[in-house]
Amino acid sequence: MSTTAQGVGGVEMSNVTKRFVTPTGAAMTAIRDVNLVVEPGQFCAIVGPTGCGKSTTLTLAAGLEMPSAGTVKVSGQPVVGITRGASFVFQTDALLPWKPVEDNVALGPTFRGVRRREALTMARDWLKVVGLAGFEQHYPHQLSGGMRKRVSLAAALINEPNMLLMDEPFSALDVQTRAIMSNELLALWEKSRPSVMFVTHDLEEAIALADRVVVITAGPGTVKAVFDIDLPRPRGAVQDIRFAPRFLELYRQIWEALREEVEQAYSRTAIAASRQRANA
Amino acid sequence: MTMDIHAPSADVAASEDLAGDEATIAALARARTQRRRAWVLFAQIAIAVVGLGAWQLGTVIGLIDPFFFGSPLGIVVRLADWFANGTAYGSFWLQIWITLEESLLGFVAGVVSGIVMGVLLGEIPFLADTLGPYIKIINALPRIVLGSIFVMWLGLGLPSKVLLAAVLVFFVVFFNAFQGVRSVDRNLVANARILGASRLQVVQHVVFPSAMTWIIASLHVALGFSIIGAIVGEFLGAQNGLGLVIATAQNTFDANGVFGAMLVIGLLALGGEALMSVLENRLLAWRPKSSADGNIAGI
Repeated sequence: MSTTAQGVGGVEMSNVTKRFVTPTGAAMTAIRDVNLVVEPGQFCAIVGPTGCGKSTTLTLAAGLEMPSAGTVKVSGQPVVGITRGASFVFQTDALLPWKPVEDNVALGPTFRGVRRREALTMARDWLKVVGLAGFEQHYPHQLSGGMRKRVSLAAALINEPNMLLMDEPFSALDVQTRAIMSNELLALWEKSRPSVMFVTHDLEEAIALADRVVVITAGPGTVKAVFDIDLPRPRGAVQDIRFAPRFLELYRQIWEALREEVEQAYSRTAIAASRQRANA
Repeated sequence: MTMDIHAPSADVAASEDLAGDEATIAALARARTQRRRAWVLFAQIAIAVVGLGAWQLGTVIGLIDPFFFGSPLGIVVRLADWFANGTAYGSFWLQIWITLEESLLGFVAGVVSGIVMGVLLGEIPFLADTLGPYIKIINALPRIVLGSIFVMWLGLGLPSKVLLAAVLVFFVVFFNAFQGVRSVDRNLVANARILGASRLQVVQHVVFPSAMTWIIASLHVALGFSIIGAIVGEFLGAQNGLGLVIATAQNTFDANGVFGAMLVIGLLALGGEALMSVLENRLLAWRPKSSADGNIAGI
């Protein structure tokens, strides 16, 4: 497996631990001994309870943070700085509110030194791809949440990434918009097939989209189990696949692994809350 | 069957009714807003008329001593005299221009240096940690007293006033720029870096525009400070300017003169404020129109 992960866009994490120092000065372990392989072109979903360090794996793959121990390799190369060829989609859209939509999408090429006129042409093409032709001059705040998410997708894909990192990208959207965006993400992904690390707390979303689902334990997180999703591709509408018998079977299996962690994480927050109440 | 035939036409009628209702409601709301605006304007004018009238009346019937408190008519006469015959140190227009020039130069110098230092310290934590205590010490000083030093160093001319105005402006803008840079959304910075931005590009495309909201908020206060700096500088020693006009009027117990010059300074500040609002709307055109904007009546 590790040999295939060395291809372009493949991710390989070996025994990765990440500790942070909190503002109060205490050390905190976000993830410990994570071993994770995402093969080139694979759609990998990462699920786990709140606060288990799911997002930390993404920031490590992006090169925004360095691991405290272990190695992170992308495309077979150890990550030493910002990973080239990666794009990130955040939970809250990271659009610049003072730039019109087309300038936001053109940021990637602009940073890479493409001339403004050319970058804007590319941006308009991408806006067409995500179905936002006619909104080039709008400011982000003039768009709906779903439309802003499309802009974020266009801004991420314009750099033609070989690795797409998504941190709960659709969790702020309403259920219907979310289903639509999931379908569109799959359609876009099928076109260029970057490898994807998709963090979510929604197991249904994870199974419907991914080739592989990684379950992370309650914090400090480590990989509890890896499930390969053998649902055929193209998957079609994510709303429909949820009723497929194989989907339900997989869901039951993975939920079995996930439930324990969710319950543990919840009981921890409940204990912390009751302690706080006792102190107060 | 009859239902089927009637339903569509009923729908059309209903939607026409609905459109009519909405139009009436919009028209009513517009009329209400206009009426309210007229009343506000009327009340504003009434306050000015009653206030100035009472002042004038008070001086006429001897309730208010015009020697100490001046009178509206006296102020008008004094200003007319200044504009027509000039002051002891050249035409009145020259005094206005000098003060304006000092304020503007001080404003520009203070804003530019404030932004540069604010962005630098905001971006480089080592600099901020090292220089922080010194900046706090200087900021704790009542900076007006620096004016005396500046007059000693730079003489009675323009530079000492410009420097005082610039120092006053600098701190206001600096703290806002610094805070603005510090409060930049970390996700925006991370995203720009992943998209391939260099450190300079991050500052240019993300940090600076984001801090701009904070900086612009400080410019209104900074403008007032630049005028204060110029006037106080002129109080402390000058050959020209509105501050000198006021100081002279004070020394000759000319209350009308003090009030007159004050009025002119107030008008200058108002003009500057109006220009600033235009600039603000230009630079922050991307901001969502908030519903609160309409209700604060320029305060």
